[in-house]
Amino acid sequence: MRGKKPYQILWLVCTLALAGIATGVRLWQESTAFEGDGGLPIRGAAASVAMVCVLVMAAAVLCILAARQPVVRPPRTQIRGRRWDMSFFATGDLVFLALMWFGAFSALAAVPMLFGRGRALWKAYQVAVSMKTWQGGDNGVLSMVTAVLALLAFFGLLQIGRDGYHPGRRGRGGFWAALPACAGCGWLLETYRNCAADPVLWDYVPLLLAVIAGMLMYTDWAGMSCAAARPRRTLWMAGMTVVCSWVALASGPDNGTAMLLIAQSAAALAALWRLPINLQNPPRVGWKGNLDACSIQDPEPQSVPRDQPLTPQPEPQPRVEEDWTWTREESQAMNCTGENKEEDTHV
Amino acid sequence: MDELWQDSQPTTPAESEGTDGVENWTLSDLSDLSDLTEATPPPHTPVRSKKDTSLGYELYLNVRTLVFVLAALILIFTFVVRIIVVSGRSMENTLQNGDSMLVWCLGYEPKQGDIVVLTQRSYQEDSLVKRVIATEGQRVDIDYDTGTVYVDGAPLEEDYIKEAMQVPNYGEGVNHVTVPEGCIFVMGDNRNDSADSRYPSIGIIDTRSVIGRAVMVLFPFQDFTLL
Repeated sequence: MRGKKPYQILWLVCTLALAGIATGVRLWQESTAFEGDGGLPIRGAAASVAMVCVLVMAAAVLCILAARQPVVRPPRTQIRGRRWDMSFFATGDLVFLALMWFGAFSALAAVPMLFGRGRALWKAYQVAVSMKTWQGGDNGVLSMVTAVLALLAFFGLLQIGRDGYHPGRRGRGGFWAALPACAGCGWLLETYRNCAADPVLWDYVPLLLAVIAGMLMYTDWAGMSCAAARPRRTLWMAGMTVVCSWVALASGPDNGTAMLLIAQSAAALAALWRLPINLQNPPRVGWKGNLDACSIQDPEPQSVPRDQPLTPQPEPQPRVEEDWTWTREESQAMNCTGENKEEDTHV
Repeated sequence: MDELWQDSQPTTPAESEGTDGVENWTLSDLSDLSDLTEATPPPHTPVRSKKDTSLGYELYLNVRTLVFVLAALILIFTFVVRIIVVSGRSMENTLQNGDSMLVWCLGYEPKQGDIVVLTQRSYQEDSLVKRVIATEGQRVDIDYDTGTVYVDGAPLEEDYIKEAMQVPNYGEGVNHVTVPEGCIFVMGDNRNDSADSRYPSIGIIDTRSVIGRAVMVLFPFQDFTLL
């Protein structure tokens, strides 16, 4: 049965393999596809063609994998709709926590690097302006803005890891991913600003693609918690984030950029580690006694004729999702028993 | 494919009729209450949909819009067009210092007479804005005595230059040359204040250094024009 396939391993193996191949091809391209003196690209270089092919192939393979990913609809609750935010719950999962926190502290490490660079450029800009010799260029403001946003990304990633490991009573899923998504906006602007005068697209397009893939991943991640769940696209973007980030890392960016790439790569790997499991077997919520009574997919509401007199309704029973808790053993058991396999439908 | 997040589905009779809030109640609904005593409170207080009121949802929509718009703009302004600000006086009177130009990048091949944006790293990291005088295979001869530029022996009609050309302060520089394959020869319209292909540190430009062709001046609005 498709629901029993180890999609978690498939995602990790495919993504890491594609990322490794893409990194190797990028290194090959760096050594053979550019002229030594001016850095201009050699027309028709085999490595450049291979690089394009590998990126397209990675996008296609991950897209197919995402399309085949089984997705079980999480339970529907009365006040929050379907609990897609549970897809990132990782109670007791130290790997998820470690990856998220590694990503968080990588983002934190980027802060002083980016801020220092921006401050130096700002000082140079002020000197040039005072001497009336300023002829345009990077004045460092965007670097400092990116540093501040990287700090927000640090808090966001830290909180996602914490919320996943200890979801609490209600759980907040991944809405904190909106913070690194916003940080990606500043980072993208800074990256574009630094390369706007570069005629060689290969110098910066991998980095731009990596930043954009990361932004889209974080956006979909946040959407799982509050508005629009697109679990398969989230997986696809997470895979592409890893591939593009590794390619950009192979290009030898500055230290601050490298730390941000490592941060989003770690977060994407955490998503690939946890999301396929929870999409196949969503964590169940509620007291142990209520779990049996809680159907995974609530029946559709019964319509009532409008001419039927309204009568006072009894007080609603306490909502299950308000009181849910579960232990690590229960969570692990739920994820291993293949529960809800009858709900294994592609959404 | 993926399912959109579905908001809370009503499970009580009042909600199941689609009452999303008090505003949706109608007179017919009120008439249904005729069998109830006046003192009886409404049987069920309809709850506004979480999707309509959630601050998180509104915030998410803003973030999503920002991310998608920014990503699309960056991709467009990387592969299709760019906005470049003119720095310097070398293209006066066609372009002024501080003008913002729209530059077309996608699939552009330099042609004689085009105004192009290029980067010559051997000279400076920032981009240059120049006019293409000759392309590959063409012969360029500059006669400073008459202030005339000859391409393949024919004098150019240059009504766009600011003033008559004089010998630059660095000497005549590159003034008799056949443009190699894959290269172009460029000059600024302000010939007496322009570092261009005549200047030995810049010289002939490789077409791979060309970012694109200047299409129009966008800002300031009084300078708005097609190029």
